[in-house]
Amino acid sequence: MKNLMEKVLNDVKKNHAEADLILNRSTSLKMSTQEASLSEYKVSSSQVLGLRLIKDGKVGLAYTESLDEDALKLMIKQALGNADTNHPNPNEKILNHSGEIRDEMTYEEQETPISLKVEKAISLETELKKREPRFLASTYNGYSEGEYTGIFMSTSGRSTFYSDKIYSIYTAALLGENGKKANYYDFDISHTYKDLLWEKVIAHSLDYSRQILKEQTLETGKYQIRFTEDALKNLMHVFSSLFSAKAAMDKVNPWAQKLGEVVTAKCLSIDDHADYKKAFRISKFDSEGVERKNLSLIEDGVLKSFYHNSLTSHFFKTQNTGHASRGPQGPLGLSETTMLIQGKDVKPLPPKYLEIFQLDGLHAGTNRITGDFSLPVKGFVWENAEKKMTFGNVTLGGNFFNMLKEVEVVGSELHASSDASFFSVPLIFNDLSIAGK
Amino acid sequence: MELLNKKIAQDIIFEGLSHGADFVDVFVERTENESLLFKNSKTEDKQSGTIFGIGIRLIHGHQALYGYTNINEREELLRITTLLGSRIGQKKSLSTTFNFERFDYPTVAAVADKNVSAVEKMAKMKKIDEILRKDVKTAQVILNFISKKQKIEVYDSEGLFASEDRPYIRLAHQIIMKDGAHESDAFYGPGARGGWEFIHDLPVQEICDGLIQRATTALYASPCPAGKMPVVIDNGFGGVIFHEACGHLLETTSVEKKASVFWDKMGEQIAHHALSAIDDGTLGGEWGSLSIDDEGMPTQRTTLIENGILKRFISDRIGEMKTGHKRTGSARRQSYKFAPASRMRNTFIDRGPHDLSSILASVDHGLYAKTMGGGSVDPGTGEFNFAVQEAYMIENGKIARAVKGATLIGSGADIMTKISMVGNDLKLMAGMCGSVSGSIPTTVGQPPIKVDEILVGGRA
Repeated sequence: MKNLMEKVLNDVKKNHAEADLILNRSTSLKMSTQEASLSEYKVSSSQVLGLRLIKDGKVGLAYTESLDEDALKLMIKQALGNADTNHPNPNEKILNHSGEIRDEMTYEEQETPISLKVEKAISLETELKKREPRFLASTYNGYSEGEYTGIFMSTSGRSTFYSDKIYSIYTAALLGENGKKANYYDFDISHTYKDLLWEKVIAHSLDYSRQILKEQTLETGKYQIRFTEDALKNLMHVFSSLFSAKAAMDKVNPWAQKLGEVVTAKCLSIDDHADYKKAFRISKFDSEGVERKNLSLIEDGVLKSFYHNSLTSHFFKTQNTGHASRGPQGPLGLSETTMLIQGKDVKPLPPKYLEIFQLDGLHAGTNRITGDFSLPVKGFVWENAEKKMTFGNVTLGGNFFNMLKEVEVVGSELHASSDASFFSVPLIFNDLSIAGK
Repeated sequence: MELLNKKIAQDIIFEGLSHGADFVDVFVERTENESLLFKNSKTEDKQSGTIFGIGIRLIHGHQALYGYTNINEREELLRITTLLGSRIGQKKSLSTTFNFERFDYPTVAAVADKNVSAVEKMAKMKKIDEILRKDVKTAQVILNFISKKQKIEVYDSEGLFASEDRPYIRLAHQIIMKDGAHESDAFYGPGARGGWEFIHDLPVQEICDGLIQRATTALYASPCPAGKMPVVIDNGFGGVIFHEACGHLLETTSVEKKASVFWDKMGEQIAHHALSAIDDGTLGGEWGSLSIDDEGMPTQRTTLIENGILKRFISDRIGEMKTGHKRTGSARRQSYKFAPASRMRNTFIDRGPHDLSSILASVDHGLYAKTMGGGSVDPGTGEFNFAVQEAYMIENGKIARAVKGATLIGSGADIMTKISMVGNDLKLMAGMCGSVSGSIPTTVGQPPIKVDEILVGGRA
């Protein structure tokens, strides 16, 4: 495959252009089950090659899923045509670096027969049914595994190789009682089949659905609020462009002019850790082949840095932080690795607070520009360290920027999200409202 | 010329049947994508690419086995088929032979798709950018043009061979405004099954005026009060409420699992008698229209609800097998990487007798949701949520102050019984719908409607 990519890059050079190429290949197996039998069984093999070339200061992108000679020639022609159309971009370059970095993950485990995997996938649903008489159906239920490889090569001589294997399981227990329905989805991911937490997924899905069946609404008003790590991760992710230098370039980052200023409570620090040992995956290099480094985003409430790639660092005349992100079918962007929210001035938990475990409608109920949000939520009411009731049928309203200023740290240990990509100390937010009865 | 050699398609189907499959189909797709991003008053990014792949489905009993690859080689395709077939049983000798017969169907009209230069496209976007930037509060304009030319072929073990060319085009407009510490944005994304002519004919000045007005209104709007109240939802993208709160629950994908609250309600009153709803794949030029679905069946107009009574579900082959509800030409998927599923096409609440002013006049204190944002639903519980992009309070039957940050939440079964007034001004709007078979173009729509009571989430 390297020979094929080298040939494409040589053809690009013959057209007096520079380029980088990304090839992603994957094979996968997915199965879903319904009413104690396999309802869908899906196997795949796929590949996609993406070219980013720069000619006369103009960037051209093109991709193909077919790797025959004609398709490759067409891809180069399309990229050259697109570059010709695009406005010159003095900030975007093909980085002038060379050498190879490899990031191959190998995991030791014995091959599990497919029949056993099917049996286990079916057990996700049958166990729910066996354990809970109010079980109606499992709306999502299944198993998947995939092997992924990614190769990056550039005309400057840089190459990287990435490979990984990921297994996942998921289920949702739909329960019903007296006309009320409850449905909670849980999942687990792992790099090996043997490490999948089947029992945790079944128990969580069932436990949360049972709690939701008992949910009551709350009085409208202001509450002190804690999020589970999954809920906080999802909310932070919606506003992740706050740390994006590209969004700052595009004038859609409300923190664009706030470097060096206090943007959160002084008790908070936020870091991006590419090599955090407890993370699901350590990342050695970014999508331009730049080696990763850890980055302080917020220190004691002060905004210290944005994520940068070669384009944004050139524009802002600052250091490239190695956060380039690009798939074969897309332009150069930015992405985080593992986010850590750390804190100081630890205070005790308040006697009464709400713990939110589910936020819905994040894509629609949030405004990335103003920071305003209004979202349906579910959670628990805690009083004196005791879970008093489950609440739902309410919305959580607030402003993300203000929320980060009105926060208290209530623990010093980092807790992980379910996918181990986000870690946070326990936090209590004080400036949020619930709309209920 | 076919995308997949017919002999290879035959071999795949034969291999699947040899393993004991009851039914086999092969979906072949070649899609040419083009996108053009106009931002910071210039073309920031023009991209193009080709998607090609083949999806193979074996059905055995109620079980669907699906595989896909973009390696268009007989050996690889047969390897995947054998892998799927081995889940059914050992390969046995089979004497069946069959020939594919081209299947004729009525073609849904599409705007002619002529080739247009990038220069003409950029000139159009430059004009829009200039108009939007005439307002001093405009901080950013983002225009995203996409063109997708999809060609599909379907072969199946009943001898069907069908193909269709599907051109899609869309221009998403976004404006961001700033005034001191205040910021706001507004979005409008018209799309069609068709070519550049659709974009060429868009009323640019009217669209820009509307975006500036909406963003300006949101800039100075006060926080929306929270609580239960009557809500008037205007036409066009307001139809997202029916799409999310009811439409998804009428797809057999949800019905077959008995996960939909409506799974056993056929023929029953599930909505207010004022409400009739339709899912129509045959509307010429609409974003969600098809000639044939992704199983090769001609699409159709399906009355889902008539005067509040549930008449039909949205069904595909697997849905019909599992629920007994006949296929409606609604099998859809994002690409060959997904098995088809029953999905909405152009789904809307049909016209009623009222005009907007009389609907507003019936409300003493409530919310007027003029422009809806997106939303989502849990098909199991029917619980939904919608954001409102542009909203006003209604006081004594009149539109009063602008408010921001409103979210509507509730459950589908409940809300359908509370739509008590339906207007006469039906308008459709393009959107993307994400579900089990990926993200697909769908149209939502409705005339203005009144919901007697809904929980509005805002700032308490």
